[in-house]
Amino acid sequence: MNANFSSETAIVGIGATEFSKESGRTPMELAVEACEAALGDAGVDASDVDGIVTFSSEQNFEIEVARNLRIPSLSHFSMIPHGGGAACGTIGQAAAAIFSGSANYVLCYRAFNERSWHRFGSGVQGRHAGAEAFDVTFGWTSPFGLLTPASWVAMFATRYMHLSGATSEDFGRVAVTDRKFAATNPAAFFYERPITLEEHQESRWIVEPLHLLDCCQESDGGQAILVTSLERARDLPNPPAVIASAAQGSTDDQQAMRSYYRDDIARIPEMKLCADQLWKNTGLGPSDIQVANIYDHFTPLFLPQLEEFGFCEKGEAKEFLRDGNIEMDGQLPTNTNGGQLGEAYIHGMNGIAEAVRQIRGTSVNQVENVENALVTAGTSVPTSALILSQDH
Amino acid sequence: MNRDLSQANETAETASEQTHFYNSLTSEVGSAGKIEVARDSVSEPVIRSWCDAMSESNPLYINQDFANDSKHGGIIAPPAMLQVWTMSGLHLGNQFQRNTEDSPSAGVYQLLDEAGFTGVVATNATYHYNEVIRPGDLISASQKLLDVSEEKTTAIGMGHFVTTETIYSDASGKQVGSMEFRVLKFRPGTGNKSERSEIKPPRPKPASNSSTDWFWDACNIKELRIQSCNECTNLQHPPAVRCLSCGSVSLDSVIATGKGTLHSWAIAHYPQVPAFDYPLIVGLVELEEGVRLVSNVTNVEPEELEIGMPLEVDWLNVDNEFTLHQFKPVHNENQEAEFENTETGDSNDQTFDSGQNNPETESTQRQVLKLDPDNVQIGDELPISPVPVTTLLIVSTALATRDYQDVHHDPKAAQSKGMPDIFMNILTSAGIVSRWINDWAGSEIDWGSIELRLGAPNHPDDTMTLSGSITEKTQHGSQVSLNIAFLGKNDRGVHVSGNAKILLPENSKGD
Repeated sequence: MNANFSSETAIVGIGATEFSKESGRTPMELAVEACEAALGDAGVDASDVDGIVTFSSEQNFEIEVARNLRIPSLSHFSMIPHGGGAACGTIGQAAAAIFSGSANYVLCYRAFNERSWHRFGSGVQGRHAGAEAFDVTFGWTSPFGLLTPASWVAMFATRYMHLSGATSEDFGRVAVTDRKFAATNPAAFFYERPITLEEHQESRWIVEPLHLLDCCQESDGGQAILVTSLERARDLPNPPAVIASAAQGSTDDQQAMRSYYRDDIARIPEMKLCADQLWKNTGLGPSDIQVANIYDHFTPLFLPQLEEFGFCEKGEAKEFLRDGNIEMDGQLPTNTNGGQLGEAYIHGMNGIAEAVRQIRGTSVNQVENVENALVTAGTSVPTSALILSQDH
Repeated sequence: MNRDLSQANETAETASEQTHFYNSLTSEVGSAGKIEVARDSVSEPVIRSWCDAMSESNPLYINQDFANDSKHGGIIAPPAMLQVWTMSGLHLGNQFQRNTEDSPSAGVYQLLDEAGFTGVVATNATYHYNEVIRPGDLISASQKLLDVSEEKTTAIGMGHFVTTETIYSDASGKQVGSMEFRVLKFRPGTGNKSERSEIKPPRPKPASNSSTDWFWDACNIKELRIQSCNECTNLQHPPAVRCLSCGSVSLDSVIATGKGTLHSWAIAHYPQVPAFDYPLIVGLVELEEGVRLVSNVTNVEPEELEIGMPLEVDWLNVDNEFTLHQFKPVHNENQEAEFENTETGDSNDQTFDSGQNNPETESTQRQVLKLDPDNVQIGDELPISPVPVTTLLIVSTALATRDYQDVHHDPKAAQSKGMPDIFMNILTSAGIVSRWINDWAGSEIDWGSIELRLGAPNHPDDTMTLSGSITEKTQHGSQVSLNIAFLGKNDRGVHVSGNAKILLPENSKGD
């Protein structure tokens, strides 16, 4: 029996809509299109799908998506809390469902108009005035004007800069690299539109210490991913992207976006918990990873993720970036699709799709000899991460 | 900004025209007007009306028997009324136009009015009291124009500060007191803050339920509380329904000292939510008890923020609905209420001692001297006193100080001059501070001087909270004099700050 069902399942299909600022259609249309594309990519008929795993903020519920896809029945369906932090968790829970036998083919997706409809970056102004526990948590921050995701992250960023000596330019290196990869990715919103570090520095403040170009886009679009057992995957047309391991993490005094009350807020202990599980379940380590997709809703939290996974020591991500290690010819090419700053902000699901392409060898920014690809999910919330590997 | 410039350009198209305008404003600087003699001599009815409006109960001013037995041998006028006696009073219709119309400042005011600077607020006043004024004295005033500032950008509008000095004398020509007075003549509608505050919705009220109401209820009485465990003394924030250390259900709270340090910060610029002023400084404060909380950091410039800087709690009353904790730097002695800095509200009293509020005891039986000159010390605090500001108070005190300017009684006139509502005049701010100090120190103190700086106006429904402390104590023989630094704050900020110098009677008198 394979503990933690490492390498028992695989991603067999990926599908997305175009990524835009105004899709011109409803989120449900985007969700169904993305799922159809993933099924088409996998060569799997919708009637074989019997599981759906999504994550919160998803407004396209699985029953309506299933109805539109003519999926006859679902024996496993779930929605993981905490938004983008759950992106890799959907794959992990799909794998668990398949490994347990409660489903054979599980669709995971995210689709929305987070730019042309309700703007995701506008945060919680005017919302969460109720008396439920989740509403009450906003009482500790909203009356003081901490209302947006950027503002919540800025509080971590200031502390991280103070303790590590990282600068705004170090954050800028993440944005510049993302946009450089996006510039050569026709699917990216910022295709052929790279930026310089100077442009990053000159971009206006959103919430100090975050410039505009430290913040990811708000996007319209959908991305779907199909998971099944490795055994079935081997009979399908695409090379399987083996799910070596997927893990979730929530740790001490965890809060949603605002874990300000634990000892060291310059670290991401929930990401460390994911990293520990991934390394333990796979027997791999940082030097075994050839390409990564590191969650980049806001550049500052990119840095401590590198530290939690052991790509560098604590506080030394700035040197890792300054040495060019996340670029194509660096030690760890990262966000080769352009990331969420460059390609689109599909709450991490498009980063998983890019890792699948890197395993298949089909990325527009293909890294050579990829054996293992790491993907992380949203930070400052309970989070998740996964490693995809070649099938041998 | 562009709008301000374009408005300025309406009256002064070019730099040279601006220079010409400013030269004409300053042409009278240094000159003195003719001596204006009060229409009426000092009288008890006028004193009593003033005391009624100010809630002044010092028997020296209103009780004949008490005053006869005092060292003054009779009723005296409250020193804070110095300016009242020569105020021009009300003149309507075809009454003879009286005095002050040809003073040098009147000429400047007229030039400014014609140029569109029709708004007026007093910003500073310093009164020196040389001699006691008694009923029957006929006071005269001689005013000199000291300064007209260049055009300044202030919170309530673009304008010029006009500074005058007035010498007050009695009939014999002896100087009884003096006043340095500064007003801002401003262009209505050019202020950013006052305008915006009119349409500003309140901040989001903290979402709360019965597990957390105690925290916000405590804030409403300006107590910062931390959840505590009765079993293991753990302190935790944000509150939970179990002790996060030992799991106990037996939870209580303790009052925090309000002292802490800045653990991290964020400065919000965008998106701008109308309830807040931007850039908005949000701090993560580590209290000295060891827990952290999110709050605003006030009284600090963004570039002054430093992780680890000491902070102390402050309070923000939101629309008289709820009170939020705020934090400000500990070593910020910035008590001047410059008009440029009348920011959003922060009121100050950390130690709200309800036992000492409103000593509204009736007049005659009070102690001659409440302070023991030997025991008062630098650092002693005056009782914190909230003063509810009502329309009645603003109007009655304006009339009692013979100040008939429409902005102190007519809301529409106040609005046409760029203010949201009527507001308290500076003579009243001086009178109320004097009354509060008399209440604390006793009736037989002698007044040396009082210096006031005005900031955020006092409008109806405000509460001005007075606080202060002794900052100097000097002794000449048996005579002790004190300097008291005071502060009157409302929800919009500091209304008045300044210093008062008083002399205490010799100790033996009180025995």
